[in-house]
This record gives sequence, structure tokens and C-alpha cells, in this order.
Amino acid sequence: MIDHPDDSHTISRYESTGGYTQSKRALGLTRDELVEEIKTSGLLGRGGAAFPAGLKWSFLAPARPAYVIVNADESEPGTFKDRQLLERDPHQMIEGIIITSIANEVHHAFVYVRGEYPKPARRVQAAVDEAYAKGYLGNGIFGSDYELEVTVHLGGGAYICGEETALINSLEGKRGEPRLKPPYFPAAKGLYMMPTIVNNVETVSNLPHILAMGAGEFSGLTGNADTGTFMMSLSGHVSRPGNYELPHGITWRALIYEIGGGIPDGKELKAWIPGGASAPWFVPEKHLDLEITKDATAAAGSMLGSGAVIVMDEDTCMVKAAERVVRFFAHESCGQCTPCREGTTWLEMILRRIEEGQGRAVDLDLLIDVSDGISIGLAWPPKMTTICPLGPSAVSPIMALKDYFRDEVDSHVTNGGCPFHAHSEEGFVPPLEGGPVERSETEGGRPPEVAV
Amino acid sequence: MSHWSEDTQERARQIIARYPEKRSAVMPLLYLAMAEEGYLTGDGMEEVARWCEITPAQVLSVASFYTMYKRERTGQYLVSCCTSITCMLLGADDVLHAVEDESGVPHGETDDEGLLSVEHVECIGACGAAPAVQVNYELIEGVSPEKARELVQWLKSARPDVVNSDEMQELFGARRSFDWGISEEHGAIGPYPAFQPLGTVGSEVAD
Amino acid sequence: MESQVPAGELLIKAAQDEGTYIPRFCWHERMSPVGMCRMCLVEIETPRGPMMVTACTNPVSDGMVVDTESEEVKKAQEAILEFLLANHPLDCPVCDKGGECPLQDQALAYGPGESRFVEIKRSYEKPIRISDLVLLDRERCILCALCTRFSEEISGDPLIEFLDRGNATEVNTFPDLPFSSYFSGNTVQICPVGALTAKPYRFRARPWDLQKVESSSLQDTAHPRIEIHASQNEVLRYTGVDNDATNQGWLSDKARFGFEYLRSDQRLTSPLVRRDGELVEVSWQEAINIAASRLDLIKEEDGGEALAVIGGAQGTNEDAFAISKFARVALGSNNVDARLDDALASHFLSASVDRATIADIDNAGTLVVWAPDLKEEHPTLYLRVRRAAQELGATLVVIHPRATGLDDRATLKLTYRPGGGYQLLDELAHGDHPEVTHAMAADKVVALVGIASHADGDQLAESVAALVRQKATHAKLLPLNSRANTYGALDMGLAPDLLPGRVGLDSIGCANLAAFWGDIPTAIGRDTRQILEGLDSGEVRSLVLVGADPITDLPDPSIAVDALDAAEYVIAIDLFLNDSNRNADVIFPASGFSEKEGTVTNVEGRVQKVNQIRPAPGQARTDWAILDDIATRMGVSLGLASAETITKEIAAVSPAYEHLTWDTLEWDHRDGIVVPIQGAQAINHIPVALAGTKAPKAQLTLHVARVMYDNGVRLQHSPSSHKLGPGAVVHLNPGDAPTIGAQDGHTVKVVTNHGEGEFTCVLDEGTPAGVVYVPFNQQGAASLGPDPVVRVTAVHS
Ligand SMILES: Cc1cc2nc3c(=O)[nH]c(=O)nc-3n(C[C@H](O)[C@H](O)[C@H](O)COP(=O)(O)O)c2cc1C
Ligand code: SF4
Ligand code: FES
Repeated sequence: MIDHPDDSHTISRYESTGGYTQSKRALGLTRDELVEEIKTSGLLGRGGAAFPAGLKWSFLAPARPAYVIVNADESEPGTFKDRQLLERDPHQMIEGIIITSIANEVHHAFVYVRGEYPKPARRVQAAVDEAYAKGYLGNGIFGSDYELEVTVHLGGGAYICGEETALINSLEGKRGEPRLKPPYFPAAKGLYMMPTIVNNVETVSNLPHILAMGAGEFSGLTGNADTGTFMMSLSGHVSRPGNYELPHGITWRALIYEIGGGIPDGKELKAWIPGGASAPWFVPEKHLDLEITKDATAAAGSMLGSGAVIVMDEDTCMVKAAERVVRFFAHESCGQCTPCREGTTWLEMILRRIEEGQGRAVDLDLLIDVSDGISIGLAWPPKMTTICPLGPSAVSPIMALKDYFRDEVDSHVTNGGCPFHAHSEEGFVPPLEGGPVERSETEGGRPPEVAV
Repeated sequence: MSHWSEDTQERARQIIARYPEKRSAVMPLLYLAMAEEGYLTGDGMEEVARWCEITPAQVLSVASFYTMYKRERTGQYLVSCCTSITCMLLGADDVLHAVEDESGVPHGETDDEGLLSVEHVECIGACGAAPAVQVNYELIEGVSPEKARELVQWLKSARPDVVNSDEMQELFGARRSFDWGISEEHGAIGPYPAFQPLGTVGSEVAD
Repeated sequence: MESQVPAGELLIKAAQDEGTYIPRFCWHERMSPVGMCRMCLVEIETPRGPMMVTACTNPVSDGMVVDTESEEVKKAQEAILEFLLANHPLDCPVCDKGGECPLQDQALAYGPGESRFVEIKRSYEKPIRISDLVLLDRERCILCALCTRFSEEISGDPLIEFLDRGNATEVNTFPDLPFSSYFSGNTVQICPVGALTAKPYRFRARPWDLQKVESSSLQDTAHPRIEIHASQNEVLRYTGVDNDATNQGWLSDKARFGFEYLRSDQRLTSPLVRRDGELVEVSWQEAINIAASRLDLIKEEDGGEALAVIGGAQGTNEDAFAISKFARVALGSNNVDARLDDALASHFLSASVDRATIADIDNAGTLVVWAPDLKEEHPTLYLRVRRAAQELGATLVVIHPRATGLDDRATLKLTYRPGGGYQLLDELAHGDHPEVTHAMAADKVVALVGIASHADGDQLAESVAALVRQKATHAKLLPLNSRANTYGALDMGLAPDLLPGRVGLDSIGCANLAAFWGDIPTAIGRDTRQILEGLDSGEVRSLVLVGADPITDLPDPSIAVDALDAAEYVIAIDLFLNDSNRNADVIFPASGFSEKEGTVTNVEGRVQKVNQIRPAPGQARTDWAILDDIATRMGVSLGLASAETITKEIAAVSPAYEHLTWDTLEWDHRDGIVVPIQGAQAINHIPVALAGTKAPKAQLTLHVARVMYDNGVRLQHSPSSHKLGPGAVVHLNPGDAPTIGAQDGHTVKVVTNHGEGEFTCVLDEGTPAGVVYVPFNQQGAASLGPDPVVRVTAVHS
């Protein structure tokens, strides 16, 4: 899916490699046939939740008009695969949109591209224009009487709009706040309260290939339940970061050491995040030889999520890494749910205090208990005590500190600072927002002096 | 009673026509309002409210939810440094610091001249070649603190009318998350993304 | 505990009805759930083990097993409270909400007992003014979305919104665009903390010092149920009481905040008599003597026809009954009217057999509103109609000369030239505007009819009713009038052609009443306009005004001015001096709302009890007691001993009120009882023939309409609300501006054949081209009269 000649984003190149033959063919197939084909292929959604695409389509409620939305809001830290698909292969996705729309009897599709991706958006818009010009989109596509409009929509800078119901609110011109569940799927009530299919860029980009090779062959690409190939964004402390299209089922060791070329400068691997910033962390002692499949990862208490693997070497300060991930969620919380809105920022404040040498002996327990308040029971997958999973996702780094790096937190506290970063280092410390220092004291801890 | 130019009004009409409901056009129209005045003013939001037939408070509620609608005067060049996890692991804090130091503009602020604004942002999808920086959302990957200083110098002295990702990548970037393929002419002219919907592909074309 | 509850009901509500309170902050029974605070988490059993869900968003289902107190639930509740308090300023000692604060109460009941939050708290500028009435303290806000939801879902003016996101989320308005909603006070009431406070109540009391009594507001024709809160004999606030019958908890700001007049130092506190042109204080004894002897004299000389009484629409039924009895028995006159020349026919208002109830609005298939702008004049009905159109699926047809508050929810809207009402009616009768006539012919039609424009006269509404009845056989009608207890007053016989109990002034009616009142005059008396004309011509010599101010309230005040100038002797009973009673000969100080008990009857005929919480100021007394004294001094015993005995007499003389007692209203039917029309000798209204008047041909036509805040005497003496009226403004369509040569904000001169004055020009798309809209009775505004012919010219300064 990701081999690219220089001009791979043009329609002429795409067509020269067989592009748009499958969408044209889809016009001749019924909804049932198409849904069945995708169900058989076993294609799992690539946006993070790994929900079977065909099954989702089959849930589409009968009311019309229905809509298709391609989720190109890719914002999960560590993830940059959709950007490549959008920039380098927009026609592949558009062909996927045509197939999805035909299968779901949809005549208006949207591509919701995150605001910080103007170049991918330009490429998609240019490709959409080309497809309109060729008569592959618009009134009477491929000479049929089928109408399909595609609107490219640019986001405004909000990770939460990747959550599909938040995305729908955003597309309706509202705040990007996730909607209440149930309904669990926009396929029941989505855009303008009408049935809506939301799929990830990569999910949709797979469709022309599935139709071309047949569901059977696609599902046979791997020997396990996760069918087809899977894009992984490898980043952090590895020699060869990048996007890799892989069959499911290789081991983490193979990914990090063989494909990724190992840890630079001969350093040791300390930990990695297996599936985007939301995922609970893995450590070499326990997880290096696990297979990269949905089930094996889930059994080990994490997830493949958006396919982003962030690798951290032995010199990485876990408190700081945790702070950075937690900060992300605090910054991106939509603010509806009390635990997410208040809890994530609280976690961030405590972590920053520890990193800056103002940690107290009670702070790790406090971090864990605040996490317990955000994600009641600290289970994985989290109990849904918030409207969407963003809040509970923020506790993953705290769980890593609790399970694997307690001593590192302790040494921050006893050292009065970070053992990895000299105290006076010209580091970047965003100021805390807020007013006067709160004066209350907690038993057992010394009065906090909160640095600004 | 629109304060917008006839051109902009025409664009607004076209954008609204791309959506089944008027209110859906709020986000693109907010960018339009920014392009009119350089940032999002109260007048701009009231104008969007009229087009979308909602109250100005509702427009503000939406605009303030998203980080890219700048409601304060923003420089001609908005320099956004990613400091999220992967970029941080690979030295992004130093890059941000270099930008702040070289420009004299602390993050979250704009210089007196209205030339440069500096901000730190969460992940911008360039983790494969971290750390990354954007100027007016045009991306540069693999930026070192030294190159970041050169970038600031260049913006200050060359003052390009249009900033273009490929050009800046050549000058100030290093590795890329993936092969970018043929380069693009398009670029941005202000602190808002160089994407204009409706088939007139984005943006301002560099000459 | 096992329970039976209606399927589909939300868990939180079902539990509550069964006596299990699930703590909550963001849920409100009258709004759609948002599930934001997460305080109401409970554990339910599922095939895949226990699951935590919010009770406010999940409906009950058959066999559902719910645990509201499991360890995890408790953990969640403690966590939520610790989170909510983390950034809360804990300034309870100086917070108005302290003592009646759900956050305090639930922190005590479900909280962890201590906070471990030692970081910097979020801080904001302490209270900011977001409107003339409301202040916002964002530090106290717990972001429950009640205020924002109310404004969007219920009142339909989303001016207060969430801004920013995540931990920086705050509630606020658009800069320089205040929260100028007519319903803003509701957000203050439902705010679960002290984030939203209202100017009239701030820092005036601690909740535990308040005395409380339930009552019904007389500043809204629906008589919304309220609780009056007072301390040390001062009324400090009203809160809305949630009842299904009328207001569902909500109040307009006028009804909520318009109580300050009660404590005004301008209140009349002792009887006044005119001596040498000056009003001087005298004893009750003396004032009563003077008034009685003068009335007696005129009655002796010219009979009851030379005497008249106007008023009674703002008080209790008992007061109205006393006025009616006083006029008929003591004065021997049927010259009595509660309406001020701007009302529909008395029998149409009070005795239409097909009168709708307010609850009928909820079940309507089609709602036709051809009436004043409900948002301005009938705020409770406005909210009910809005909800029916928005949530309950009713087709809403709005017919009005300009934009109204309901337009954004209207399925169909017809706009017509003021004065062109009959023409439009004619068109509808002949099948023009087929969508409208089609909607009108549907099942379950409820029509709210009233005077949409004085330019059409006051009979159009009856013709509209006739048309609706013709199109939809089972249609129900709600005829509207603006003064709050007009319906009660008419039921008490405060009209020249009606006797107590909606009984016509005919031989049967008079005969029945004779058993109680003795003989009364049988000829139909004069209505307000005829009374005023009679005063002018000298046929009527003396007028008693009871809580009425015709000079301010009449559409054409010149009639009232001339009449009161010409009147030989004027006696007034009132709370304040006003334009009409300023030159009276005798003035009696009256007790006002919350200073007396009694019953009142609202727009649908619902009788409710109003209650006393404070003594009247000075020597002020109730209307009925004053009238009883005057009658006694005239040698006539009215037998009015107490408000409650009057209620008993009402029940005795008027079949419709047969079983109404204070006990019933206080205990069994706190929300009141709709008195039946049938039992009350229904007067079947005869449709007015469709007249064929033509719309005026003039280039500009005048539309004068009441708005919520006017220059009425009670508002004048309520400082917080007084400034809220629009003032002397004239609305013009932007398209008309160039011809007139005026721009937004300019001063223009408006001239009619009744009056003229200078007004500030407001350009407004809601006013159609050719229409000149002027809000009625504004401070500093000239009165223009009801005629549609108008000229507008630019004033060059
Ligand atoms: C907080 C959050 C952020 C998400 N961000 C994205 C995203 O950026 N892109 C995406 O495709 N899906 C994202 N998702 C998943 C979407 O909600 C949805 O499951 C997905 O778009 C469905 O497409 P798929 O079935 O093709 O994966 C996110 C979910 C959550 C809870
Ligand atoms: S969990 Fe966080 S991001 Fe998700 S809906 Fe709740 S507040 Fe918003
Ligand atoms: S009351 Fe249920 S979430 Fe707030």
C-alpha cells in the first residue's frame, strides 16, 4: 500500500497501476455483496479500535440520507501513517471512499483532515478535483446515474475530533465533544442524526486492494485473526524510524531490532509504547518476544491502537516521558467529563512537580489514586466511566511508573530532582496556569513549593 | 451587511454550498475570517455567525475549542514547535528553546513587530523524523536546535511572502518521516493553513 | 429492592421516584442529559460482568439489576467530588449559594472528606457582569452545562456558552454581547453552585434565614408557580416551582425579578385626600367618610349610571369579586371593567367552551399562534409552545406582522402588514396559503389568539378563532390578554356584561345572583372605553380606579387623559401614585402581591392560591377591605369579612367555582384546578363574520406592540429591571432606511394622527419593509396611538 513513485499522488500514475477499476466494478455489485466481501476479508478498522469494517457497515440504519466520513484526523502521538497515505496516495483513499459509499448507499462523503495537515489536505483536494474532472465523482460517476459528492473538511486543531462522535459534532459546526453512548455507533445516528459510516484513512485505503485480490487472499496474508497488512509508525529511539507496512504476527523484537535497526548508540531498550500514546507501555523484560497481534497485545494488557510504536532508550527519564504523554491528554481533553478534565491536569501537575524536584514521598500513591479516580478500578481495557476513552487513556503512563519504574520516581523524590536531566538544564518548562499558590498541606508531605 | 470583500463573500457562499447544513461551514468560514484580518477578530466571528445563522457566542464557543483559530494578533509567521513525546525524546525542548532564544519571543507570544509568533504544540504527525517544526503549518522535519536558529534568522531577514514546506525542508530540515516525492509549489501566507477548499487547491502559489 | 417503573425512563429518575437518590450535578429533569459530571455513576449487571454507567443517560430496561452503592460506585463518587473541589475556590462563607448548595451537600454526603490537591488552582477574575441582572464567577463553576443547555434548549437564546476546552473550559458570553435573555434568571436558579448570581438577591441573605411561602406570579398570564423568599419582612427573591401544569420550574426575568417595587419607598402608606389642590395625609376614617359621602351624593343625584369602576386585573379574585359586588350592590352600577380597551370580548376570553389548557399545547398536532409575540407578553406560554415545536413534534404556524421569538421554531410563518389582518384572514378562508390552511385542518389543533396588532382592532382575534373552528372541528383555543389576572377578574364579573361565575348579565343570571346580592341593575353597563367617554361627556361623574392606570396602559391614552381631566370625582386604590391617579381626589394605599392571600385564575382558567409573607407597608390595606368600608359608610353592607369568606361566597354564587376552597388549593391541588366552563353556564361564542377590510395603502404602517419591559408602574419601581426596556426606539427595515434618510442609531421623528415624538432608529431585518415598529409604553417615548398611518422623517442635528 505504501510503495511510492515520485508522482504517486496523481491520477494518471494511480490509474496506470490499475487504479479506479475496483470502484467502477463496485457499481455493479449490490450492498449485500460488498458488505459480505468486506466481512469475509476480516478487515479491522485501523483508526485504533480495530472494529471489523464489514460488520460496522452492516449496522447501518435504514434511514436516508446516510453519510460516509473518512477519519483523517490522525493526531495520536507517534502516529504518522495516515499522513503518508493522504499525501502520497490520495487516489487510493478516494477509490476506497467510492467503494464505501456504494456499499452503504451514500451520496455525500466527507474527508475530515486534521487542521495541522494542510499539505495532505491539498493533495486530497487536488485528487478529489481530478476525480471530479474525470467523472469518477460528482453527478453520474463512471457514466452511471450514481451521484457522489466528496467534501474535504479541514479540522481546527483538536485531537479529540479523531473520536468519531466528536468528529461528527465538529463537522456539524459544533465543539468537538464526543457524544453520549449509546448509540454506540454513528451507523445508527451520526451526522445530522442520520446513519453515518466513519472509517479511518488506512481502513478505506485497503478496500481497492481487497476487491482486487479478493477477500480470501486478503485474509490469508497473515496466518492469524488479524487479516491483511498493517501500517506501523515506528519512532523514538530507533535507528530507522518510519512507516512500515507489515503483516501481523512478527515479534516486537523483530520490529524494533531488525526492522527498526535497534537502539542508536548501542544503548539499551528501556520501554516502548506499543499502540499510540493511549496504550499501556511495554518493557523488554516482559514483552519483547510477544507477537504483534491484536489478541496477544490485549492479553498482555495493552493494544495496537493506531499502530504507533514509540521506543525509549535507557537514558530516558520515565517521569518526564510520562509527564509528556499525560500533558498531551490534559491538553486535548474536551473538558466534558469531570475526571478527565480535572484529573488529567492534576496528574500533569504532580508529574511536573516530581520532575522538577518538588516531589513528595506520597506523590506516587497520589498519582495512582487520582488515576483510579479517572479510570475506576484501573482495569485494561478501562471501565468506561467517562464519555469517551480519552480520559482513561491518560493513566497508561502512570501504570508504567507504578508497575515498572517506581524506583525512578523515588529517586526523583529523594534526589530532589531528575537523575537524567541536570536541574539547571535549559529545559522547557511550560508554566502552570493559575493564580495564587494553594496553601493547604497534606499530612505526611512537606508543603509544596510549586515552581512556575 | 457583510464587511467581507465580494470575493470572500463568494467563497463563503461556495463553502456553505458544500455542506448539507449551514452551520457545518463554521470551521472553514473561521479560516476565511482569519485570512481576511490576519487573525480571528470579534467582527470576524460575528460575520461567521451571520453566515451560519447562529449566535456570536456559539461561534466563539466553537472557535475557542480548537487551537488553530487565533483570537489574538498573530505574527506573519507562526512557528509551532512540537514538544510531544517522540519529539521530546529526540530533543524538541532544545529546539523550542533555540527558537525562543533566537527570536526573542517566548512561546505563546508574538513579537512587537507582528512578524513572528512562537508556540509549542502537541504531536503534528512527524514523529518519524522528530523533532519537527511548522511555520504557518508548513512542515519541516528533522530540525536541530542550530537549524532552528537559522530558520528564525531566515524568516526575519528573507521575510518570504509565501512559506513553502519543501523549500524550508531543504534549508532547515534533515531526515523525513517518509519520501516526500515531487515537491510542491504551494505555501502559506499567514498564520492559518494554506488550504482552501473547493478545488482551487489551497493556497497561494509561490512565483 | 425490586421496582416497577415505566420502561424507557432514565435510571436516575426511576430510582428517585422509588426513593433512591442518586447524586448528580448535571442532570435536570427538564433538559436532555449531557452526562458530563459523572457523579451519577452506578453499577449495572451485564452478561459480561458489572459495568459502570451514568444513571442520567441510561434508560431502565426489564430485569435490570442496579447497584447504587457498590465499592466502585463510592470510589467514583469520592473521586468526582475531589476533582470538582480541586479547583473550586471554597469561598462558601461569602457565597450566596452557601447553605443551599448541591456541591456542599453532596461533598458532605458522598465526598472523601479531605482534598489532596496541593497545586495551583485555576483562577479567574472574580464575578464578572454578564448582563444587567446576572453576574458570573467562573471559579465556582463546575461546568454542569445547565445554564448553557437552558439557553439553547429551553429559552432559545444561546448567548451563554462553553468557551475553550479541557481544563481551561469556562462558561462565558461573547465579548460585549451580554447575556440579555428574558429568561436569564432561570440559569441563576438552576446553577448548582454560586457561579451565577443575580443582582437583586446578591449578598442580601443567608438561605437559612429565609422564610418561604408558595404562591403564583401575577406578572405572567400563566400564573407560574413560585416560592417567595423573604427575610425580616422584605421579599428578597422569587424562585420558580416545578409543576407540570404551568411553568415547569421556569420564570421570565420580569416575573422573577419584578418584586423590588414591593419594598420601594415610594409606596403609598396612608390615605390621601386632596385639599386646596394638594394631596394630604388623613386618617382612614376621614378618607372613607369623604369618599363614601361623595359617591353617595352622586348616586342620589344621577343614579348608579353616573358611577364607574375600572381595575382589578392585577389583584386577587377576592379583590375582583369585591369590586364587582361594590360596583353592583353599593354603587348600583354595571359600569365596571377590568380590561383596558385592549382586550378581547369578555365572554370570548373567559367563557369560550373550547378553551384549551396549557397542557394541551404539549399534545397539539398543530399550534397556531396569531397573537402578540409570546416571548414578549406571555413568556410561560412561549416556553411551552417552543418546547412543543422543538421537542414534541408539533407543527407550529406563526402569523404576525413582524419577526417573533418563535420564528426559529416555526414550521410556517406568515407575515402581514399591520392593519391587513382581515385581508389575510379572508385569503386563508378562501384557501390561499394552502400549507397553512392544511396545517390548520389537522388533528389536535390548538390556536393561541390575541391582539397581534392594534391596527386590526380587537375583534380580529375572534374572527381568527371562528376560522380555526371552521377548519378544524375539534380545535381548542386559548384567547390571550395581557394583564395577569384579567381572567380571574372576568370570572368575578368585572365586566359590564358579565356576572361572577362567567354568567351573562341576563335575567337568569341576575335572578340567581339576587339570592345572594339582592337586586342589581340589569342593563349592560359601560366598558372601559365607554366609561372614559362618559366621563368626558359628563354622563359619568365619578370613577373609582382600583390598581389601574389607563393613561399609561391604553393603546390610545388621549381618551384617558381627557376623561380624567373631565371627571368630577376620582377615587383611587393603589400601591403607587401613577399618571392616572396623580390628580385623584381620594387615594387609598393598597396592599400588594405577597402582602395578601387569595386566589387567582390564569389564562386557561386555572385557579391557584396566592399567599402572604409580609405585612403591607404603613397603613395599606387590601382592596376588598377598603371597598367594604366605603360601602358600609354608604349604608350598604357587602359582608366581606375576610379573603377566605369571600372565596366561600365566590364558590356559593358561581357554579364554576363551586368546590373551590383554600384547603383544597393548599393541600390537594397546590398546582391549582382548572375550573370547568360547562358547569358555568357556557356562553357559546358566536363567530364574528369575516370582515373584508383592506390593508392600508400607506407607504409605511405603524405596528405598536408590548414588550416584556415597559414603563409600567411596578417596573418603574424595580430598579434592577427598570432599565431593561428598549426605550424610545423605532425599528425599521434596512431597506426603508435610505428613503427616510436615517441610519442605525440616528434620531428620527415619528408622527401619527394621535401623537408624535423622537425615537432612536434601529435597523432590523425582522421588521418587514414598510412597517414601522415601536415598542409600547417606553420610558421617554411619546405615545402614538393605535392607528396604522405613520410618517417617519430624519432629524438632522
Ligand atoms: C480519543 C480518540 C481519538 C481517536 N483518534 C482517531 C484518529 O485520529 N483517527 C482515526 O481514524 N480514528 C481515531 N479514533 C477512533 C475513531 O473513534 C473510530 O473508531 C475510527 O475512526 C473508526 O474507523 P475504523 O473503524 O476504520 O478504525 C479515535 C478514538 C478516540 C477515542
Ligand atoms: S473522557 Fe475526556 S475527552 Fe472524552 S468526552 Fe470525557 S472529557 Fe471529553
Ligand atoms: S448527573 Fe449524570 S453525569 Fe452528571
